[in-house]
Amino acid sequence: MKVSFKVNGAAQSVDVAAEMPLLWVLRDHLGLTGTKYGCGIAQCGACTVHLDGQAVRACQVQAQELEGAEVLTIEGLGRPEALHAVQDAWVEHQVAQCGYCQSGQIMQAAALLDLNPAPSDDEIDAAMSGNLCRCGTYPRIRAAIHAAAQKLEG
Amino acid sequence: MSQAITRRAGLGLAALLCALAPLSLALGPAGAETSGPEISFEIPEPGSVPPTLGAEAFERIYEVVSHPRCANCHVGEDNRPMWSGPSYGAPRPHGMNITAGESRIGAETLLCSTCHRTNGDFDTDPHAPPRAGLDWRLPPVEFQWFDRSAAQVCAQLSDPERTGGRDWVELARHLTEDAGHRGFVLWGWNPGGNREPAPYSLQTHVEDILTWGAAGMPCPES
Ligand code: FES
Ligand code: FES
Repeated sequence: MKVSFKVNGAAQSVDVAAEMPLLWVLRDHLGLTGTKYGCGIAQCGACTVHLDGQAVRACQVQAQELEGAEVLTIEGLGRPEALHAVQDAWVEHQVAQCGYCQSGQIMQAAALLDLNPAPSDDEIDAAMSGNLCRCGTYPRIRAAIHAAAQKLEG
Repeated sequence: MSQAITRRAGLGLAALLCALAPLSLALGPAGAETSGPEISFEIPEPGSVPPTLGAEAFERIYEVVSHPRCANCHVGEDNRPMWSGPSYGAPRPHGMNITAGESRIGAETLLCSTCHRTNGDFDTDPHAPPRAGLDWRLPPVEFQWFDRSAAQVCAQLSDPERTGGRDWVELARHLTEDAGHRGFVLWGWNPGGNREPAPYSLQTHVEDILTWGAAGMPCPES
């Protein structure tokens, strides 16, 4: 099926199977490989992007749900010369280890701060527990989210 | 006298075409399902069904609503959906530290729709999050079935304060309407992945609710 939507502000149109996951549309059809594949069954969070402003697992969104939608990926969250506050805090806290999970972590964290500008530790844990990190960077993720919250407030 | 009603649970061309084949499911290729099955029911005259038949119907109703496909989301005040069923052994709270909050949609924590998409294509991979044609959520807390006895569930279903104001006919109608949206009720019998479906069938469940209601909503003692 043909589906038209926006990715990082730019209009896109693809002709793919109706059930194709957004993750494959992004990676294989649009060449946006910043969004990662970990499990394909919503168990890891590596594929997290924003769909109409909400964090979603791109491996679970089918192409047929995309008509008219606005998708934001890690490539569009900030720019190298103007990082998003979450990316800025991530650099400051040197959160990433291998980095594989991190685009998903950052997209989930940015969505959390959109909804809750000053989350507590418990609120961070509730929102972020679906994003796994094999390298165990959780303490730095939490610290960086608090720092990003302050940047956004300031 | 009985009032025969055939409810077409679904809208649009697919439903119209399906009307040519009563009782067939409006299932197209994967991803194309936009309507539910035709559910027909007859509302028996209140009092026309002996209480023993009503009690038997309620036994089946309880088997359905206490089944993991239904009870796992009909949870209590902790707002934590459950994972249980043949592949889990003992029931356990949903992984990933999930709590749906008082909103029952995860608005305070992590929205259910982060993973559970609104999409009537029930055909998911094993262990992938189920989808439905309605926005995924927990039912209101007063509809708790998880960890509830047959007597407790029967008291709840008999009490309009705890059924969203529905009497037995409206409960049955609610089931067919949900099915028309390819919602959670229909999903319970078509759960995708390798999940065990709820027992009997949606058609039998609707008939059982109506039989139980017309029998005066008899409740078990325990
Ligand atoms: S790849 Fe989507 S959650 Fe793991
Ligand atoms: S940084 Fe390696 S998996 Fe998270």
